[in-house]
Amino acid sequence: MAEVALRAQKLVHTYPRGNVTALKGVDLDIHVGDILSIVGQNGSGKTTLVRHFNGLLRPTAGSIFLMGEETAGKSVAEMSRRCGYVFQNPNHQIFCTTVREELEVAPKNFGFSPEETEEQLARVTELMGLEPLLDKHPMTLDYTTKKIITIASVLVFHPEILVLDEPTGGLDEVGRQMLTKVIRLMHQEGHTVVIISHDMDYVAENSSRVVVMAQGEIWDDAPPEKAFLSTDVLRRAQVEPPQIMQLDLALQGAGAQSAALSVADFVAKYR
Amino acid sequence: MSKPIIELRDYSYRYSSDEELVLQNISLTIDEGDFIGVVGCNRAGKSTLCKSIVGILPFVFGGDWNGEIVIDGQSLNETKGKGTTDVVGIVFQDAESQFTQQTVEDEIAFAMCNFGYDRALMRERVRFAAEACGLMGMLDRSPYHLSGGQQQRLAVASILALQPRVIILDESTSQLDPLGRDEIFRLVGELHRMGRTVIMVDHNIEKIASTVDKVMVLHQGRLVAYGEPHTVFANKELLEDHFVRLPQVADAALSLPHRLAPGAGTPITLEEAVSAFAPLKKGGA
Repeated sequence: MAEVALRAQKLVHTYPRGNVTALKGVDLDIHVGDILSIVGQNGSGKTTLVRHFNGLLRPTAGSIFLMGEETAGKSVAEMSRRCGYVFQNPNHQIFCTTVREELEVAPKNFGFSPEETEEQLARVTELMGLEPLLDKHPMTLDYTTKKIITIASVLVFHPEILVLDEPTGGLDEVGRQMLTKVIRLMHQEGHTVVIISHDMDYVAENSSRVVVMAQGEIWDDAPPEKAFLSTDVLRRAQVEPPQIMQLDLALQGAGAQSAALSVADFVAKYR
Repeated sequence: MSKPIIELRDYSYRYSSDEELVLQNISLTIDEGDFIGVVGCNRAGKSTLCKSIVGILPFVFGGDWNGEIVIDGQSLNETKGKGTTDVVGIVFQDAESQFTQQTVEDEIAFAMCNFGYDRALMRERVRFAAEACGLMGMLDRSPYHLSGGQQQRLAVASILALQPRVIILDESTSQLDPLGRDEIFRLVGELHRMGRTVIMVDHNIEKIASTVDKVMVLHQGRLVAYGEPHTVFANKELLEDHFVRLPQVADAALSLPHRLAPGAGTPITLEEAVSAFAPLKKGGA
């Protein structure tokens, strides 16, 4: 079994305002090399959970272990160096006046040498085709491009774990394809990727594990080919499988043991 | 006989800060009562098109243009956009940025106050819009304390109160979760059944395919397709060339024509696909 990258142990989080218990004792091990997607309706606790991974939120009770180390007392800076977090809304993350500066912030703050910073910047710029944008003001760019910039600004310091909150939200097809490419590459390089998403087509095709959350609890944790078959859990958690999977299930009738996760799967199955 | 409510005649537009045209020689007609889905990747010109139809571009924010847009028989070149809001209302992506008032009721009434509507009429319209958008139980609440779906419904209500004949939604569901998104699609479907013309820009191809009567595909400022969804979504090559996804079931059907029931066209919704692929059903032919 692969090493545990992140462990949530009996994690409880209660927001002080409104006294809402957003997480009710969550246990979860995320292994090195997982591409784990967390799905569920708004208010199910997804974002609250992942914000513990880099210290943006602290447990009301229970613990978080990051690469085997208990994180109580560790600073956000220490944690986010190892666990990079890309916010849902790029406007909440971007604050520099050029794309280049935006990409340099984290490496500089984490004490990279100028050469290392330059090297990492060059790597990410090439990987994501950002060269023509480096001198532009990020806020003048369209939403997809801003989103790509925020992902690049995290990739640039090479965190062991990458957390993406709703990465495909507002992305067009070009952006989705780039995101897929980048995540696959991160995975090949041995990174652990955690994705929060409402985009089930994307989750089905790009995850090794799917965690279904509802009401501050984990209701299911399985590979996508299993998780999307638990129709009862999904219905109660108000999660809808991809259209192609719904088609395959409808064609097979009751008691289906498997179903196509993507159009390519479906075509291969019925060719 | 359908009656044109919006016509673009060889319309081009360029932002004053840009050298490139954002819309190039667009000619099209939207008939009253149409439900139009607008798709295309970023920088296709979708938002510019929406803002041009309400006259915000070029008549409020400037920029250069050519050609003409005619709304309900009146050329914007002549009216300079004045009076357009009587016919067309627009809801943007980020509803919250549009709110100014402390309660849902005041928010719905805000535009009417600005236009100097009579009090009794305002009350009647607030009621109408709130009922249509399912907001009657929350008139006293703060717009900022609503869920994302409720906020978008409020943005629609505040436009609906002016009773425009055309409602434009520019990526109004992209920040919402699936429940919120379904709320908005249900609501605009209802408004369309009430006779309104709806123009909806959205990235969710499956939802668009199962909802609209006509699809418009834009790419780099040009109109590359405009027609009935079954026709547009059956043209895989054209869509892929312009980075527009097909509904998953249409994509599958185009790859497996020999598995479809005889005579079945390309399905674009789940229901259509279940019948089109009937021969694959367990125990089927």
